[in-house]
Amino acid sequence: MAKTAARSVPSKKEKKKKGKGAKRLPSGPAAAAMKAAKPRPTLNPFETIWSRRKFDVVGKRRKGEERRIGLSRSVAIEKRKKTLLKEYEQSAKSSVFLDKRIGEKDDTLQEFDKTVLRLQRERQLKLKRTSKYNLSDDEEDDTTVDQPHSSDKDDFEDEVPLDEDEYADFKNGSGLASSKHLSLQSLQNSSESSLLDGEDQTHKSKKQVMMEIISKSKFYKAQKVKEKEEDESLMAKLDEDFSTLAQTEALRALSHPSKMNALKALLNKDIKRESLKEGLSGLSDNKLIEKGLPDAYDKLVKELGSDRRAHASDRTKTPEEIAQEEKEHLEELEKQRQERMLATDDFTDEGSDDDTVEIQNSASIKIRPTSGDDLGDSFLIADDVAGKKGWIDGIYEQNDADNQDESGSSSQDSEGDEDNEGNGDGNDGSGDEHVNISTMKDWEQSDDDDDGLNMDSEETDNLDEKEVAIGDKLSLDLHEVKTSSSHEMNAAGNLAPAKEKELPYVIEAPKNLPELCSLLDSRSDDEVVEIINRIRAYNSIRLAAENRKKMQIFYGVLLQYFAVLATQSPLNFKIINSLVKPLVEMSAETPYFAAICARQRLIHIRTRFLEDIKNPGRSCWPTLKTLLLLRLWSLVFPCSDFRHVVMTPALLLMCQYLMRCPINSGQDAARGSFLCSLVFSVCKQSQKFCPEAIIYLQTLLTSSIELKLGLQQHSQLNHLMEIRVVKPWLHITDQACAIRPLDFFAVMEMQEESPFFASDTFRASVLSSVSETLKGFIIIYEGFSSFAEIFSPISNLLHDVLQNPNLPGLLRDKMQDVLDLIRKTTDEHHMFRKPLQMRKQKPVPIKLLNPKFEENFVKGRDYDPDRERSEMKKLKKLLKSEKKGAIRELRKDSQFVSGLKETARLMQEEERAEKYGKAMAFLQEQESAFKSGQLGKGRKRRR
Amino acid sequence: MPGIPITAPVDKTKRPGVIFVLEKACLEVGKVGKNFQILNSDDHANYLKKQNRNPADYRPDIIHQALLAIFDSPLAKAGRLQAVYVKTEKGVLFEIKPYVRIPRTFKRFCGLMSQLLQKLSITAVGKREKLLNVIKNPVTRHLPVNSRKIGLSYSSEKLVNLCNYVAAASDDATLVFVVGAMAHGVIDKEYIDDFVSISEYPLSAACCLNRICSAFEQKWRIT
Repeated sequence: MAKTAARSVPSKKEKKKKGKGAKRLPSGPAAAAMKAAKPRPTLNPFETIWSRRKFDVVGKRRKGEERRIGLSRSVAIEKRKKTLLKEYEQSAKSSVFLDKRIGEKDDTLQEFDKTVLRLQRERQLKLKRTSKYNLSDDEEDDTTVDQPHSSDKDDFEDEVPLDEDEYADFKNGSGLASSKHLSLQSLQNSSESSLLDGEDQTHKSKKQVMMEIISKSKFYKAQKVKEKEEDESLMAKLDEDFSTLAQTEALRALSHPSKMNALKALLNKDIKRESLKEGLSGLSDNKLIEKGLPDAYDKLVKELGSDRRAHASDRTKTPEEIAQEEKEHLEELEKQRQERMLATDDFTDEGSDDDTVEIQNSASIKIRPTSGDDLGDSFLIADDVAGKKGWIDGIYEQNDADNQDESGSSSQDSEGDEDNEGNGDGNDGSGDEHVNISTMKDWEQSDDDDDGLNMDSEETDNLDEKEVAIGDKLSLDLHEVKTSSSHEMNAAGNLAPAKEKELPYVIEAPKNLPELCSLLDSRSDDEVVEIINRIRAYNSIRLAAENRKKMQIFYGVLLQYFAVLATQSPLNFKIINSLVKPLVEMSAETPYFAAICARQRLIHIRTRFLEDIKNPGRSCWPTLKTLLLLRLWSLVFPCSDFRHVVMTPALLLMCQYLMRCPINSGQDAARGSFLCSLVFSVCKQSQKFCPEAIIYLQTLLTSSIELKLGLQQHSQLNHLMEIRVVKPWLHITDQACAIRPLDFFAVMEMQEESPFFASDTFRASVLSSVSETLKGFIIIYEGFSSFAEIFSPISNLLHDVLQNPNLPGLLRDKMQDVLDLIRKTTDEHHMFRKPLQMRKQKPVPIKLLNPKFEENFVKGRDYDPDRERSEMKKLKKLLKSEKKGAIRELRKDSQFVSGLKETARLMQEEERAEKYGKAMAFLQEQESAFKSGQLGKGRKRRR
Repeated sequence: MPGIPITAPVDKTKRPGVIFVLEKACLEVGKVGKNFQILNSDDHANYLKKQNRNPADYRPDIIHQALLAIFDSPLAKAGRLQAVYVKTEKGVLFEIKPYVRIPRTFKRFCGLMSQLLQKLSITAVGKREKLLNVIKNPVTRHLPVNSRKIGLSYSSEKLVNLCNYVAAASDDATLVFVVGAMAHGVIDKEYIDDFVSISEYPLSAACCLNRICSAFEQKWRIT
């Protein structure tokens, strides 16, 4: 109660003030400020106390910043004096004086407004029906002061002259009758009049308002009609422009001739319409034409738009289509050939001339049938010839230079060098898509390696020399083909010259080996390749489903042919080489069949081998055919697969050969080393560990040491050597021996007891190839953690081998190189090896706790995710603060009241004391007077 | 099965630790726009100029780096940190528990600090434990009894090799390192027992703390 009293204080207080003197005061807080600013007669020293901040925050303006605590306290006391004190005083009274004058309670009104309000009320009362007929007292009317400003005058004060309204009505009525022009005018007039009237605007009669609306609608209608007319005229103008434009050459040139008619028709129509227009000025007709016009025009525009559209180009051909085309082309060529065969002899020369050209054409065309599935190493024959020529030339140069070191006189040789170092490169190249020629070279190279794997770089030269005989002829022939003089070719070349021997273009795939042999017999190597290519092109798998079967049979036959070639005694290495490419490509076409073929053959070879090994009399080493087949498969199938249906058994077979076959002769050693290098080429990419190969190499090295030395020192090898009768096969006795690259095929062809195997040259060559292969193995096994253990016996062995004073310098260098490499790598491995540790435990870091905080923290905001709870908390907080405030107010009120009571009591007491004193004084005086016998008093009184 | 410990585990409560006091950290909350933010010289340069302050004095990044240097060290990860106290330039002292993950980014760090200076304490996520807490001045009332307070200053005449210095100190008395986290000026030497400089060059606070931490790591063989 007391609080509410305190709250309603200001109004009461001010009311009182206003009630007294009609003085204006600013309301609310302004009043308080003024009060504070008012110079006080007695300055309370406590009022000078200001509130102060605890923490100064930059940029923060606190609300109660400039609060004076002392002052506010005294203000509060004042307030209480005005409210609580009054109530307190009135509490004892029975009657109250209440001021109920109008506007007296509203602080916002000024004194003058208050009087105005009061006056209004008075008038209203007067205007009431009941008091309508009361006579007004003039005196009161006079009191209404004529105020100069009438901003908020009330409606009843506006005096509306009646007659003016009537006048307007009349005017509008007349307007209704007249034309719209007049109505427009009247509208203007009315607006003007409204402007003039000003105050009149607010009070229009219903009739007036309706009139206004009608006139307005009429005005808008008129405007619409006018706009329409304008549009029409514009459209007509446009049409005219278009017709003139269409008649000019420019548009005619732009548009398609077929469209011209339409355009002309349109124009005619236009003209017709124009005439029509002229003829019929009626509006409805005009409209009719307008309706018809846009259709034709739109059509024309659309046609013009679709005029210059791009035509679809020929779609790219599918591989099947390409193959089909290829086949058709071949057939056509064949037909031509047949015709020519039947033709008269007169034109032989020319015909043959044509033929050669055609051969070339066909050759060059042949290359084209490459699809996305192709290996990408098809090649131009012409380029091939050129390449071969360069290669052979290079060899010639080599010969001229008397077998000196190859210093990269031809790029081919240097490449060969590279390949010998890592013949896997060639293999990779064959698989990857290189450019035609380079791939071909790779092929050549890898094939060179094929036969000369256990020979070093110079060896290839040797081989090449051997091949020169074949290559020479070939190059000559091809040269002549190139010069394209058919006569010369016929005379000099032993290439199939005559028409009868000419290659047929359409060749069915042979079904069995004799068929193929008959086809390929007495053909030159190039022609063989050509034939195979043609067979493949004609019977391409993509052409027909049954071709797959045909090709599979052909593939088997070709493989057989390949194997047969390998067994022939004068080995035609060239043709074997050239067979590799089609074989690889074909096995890519029919991978499953190829794998099956290879597996069957492998099984067969293995059974043969197992039989052989039981028979100690026979050499169980693989034949040249087997070796070549193994090499072929290593090219055909991916060597790097972890497990492969062909390569895994092939590798196992090779390792088995290396392990189980006893070395009985130098030839065996050479074969073994070839197998080793084959194993190396297979293992190179996948880095598979083949201990058999390494042990074999070790054995070979051991055999190069003198017997007594070797067997004693390397007794740990003995158990491995048991099966192989170790003789110093490779012990070099003569220092003056040349290291010459071995021709593997030559070696294979030689008899076992050939004196060549006993020569130091052979031994040195084998040893050098062994060291090459060893080096390769070292490089690929470099990363193995057991490297040191694998190769340390070999390093010891090599050390012993190097003891031999008869070792030729080059070989010695090579071996020293290998030895150094082993030692270096072993050292590295030893360096990086760590001692065995107890199970290591890493120290556990202490557990960290994340602090909880908000990105944009605002003080006072509740960051509780539970909304209801935070809301509740807020309310509780509010309640608490309100409660506290109320308690504080009540306490202060009661203090104030008790203070009042206290002062009242004190005053009463004082009064009483005074009275008491007076009485006492009187009594004392009386008493004294009585005691003194009235002397004093009487005397005093007298005074 | 866990690994077999080679040495017997040391009682963790008895392990000696180290205390850091970072003096004069420039952490001041200002009202920028509507929110309260830690003032820094980059973002609030114009604002500070308007308020007639020198923007160069507002460098909360120093204390951020310094705290990261302490809490990222292996010393802290090994649990050898006893406590970290920070006193701001305004005189607000707060304690950071040694197992707090200090925000890595500066912005988040500023958010944390501004909330700390407004709410006066920061709890852990999902726990009621106070990780950062504003405490009463002076800092000496929070330091252990037998502590040796070492103040670091470039201005000090006594140049020491920190590794030797730390190694020479006995483990009985807890070492308290007082490092200034301000751009300019010297820390006050009221409660400091030993006033040393550890380099001939003026070092940043973070670098100083790194050195101290690494010296202790060497001493206590924390790797």
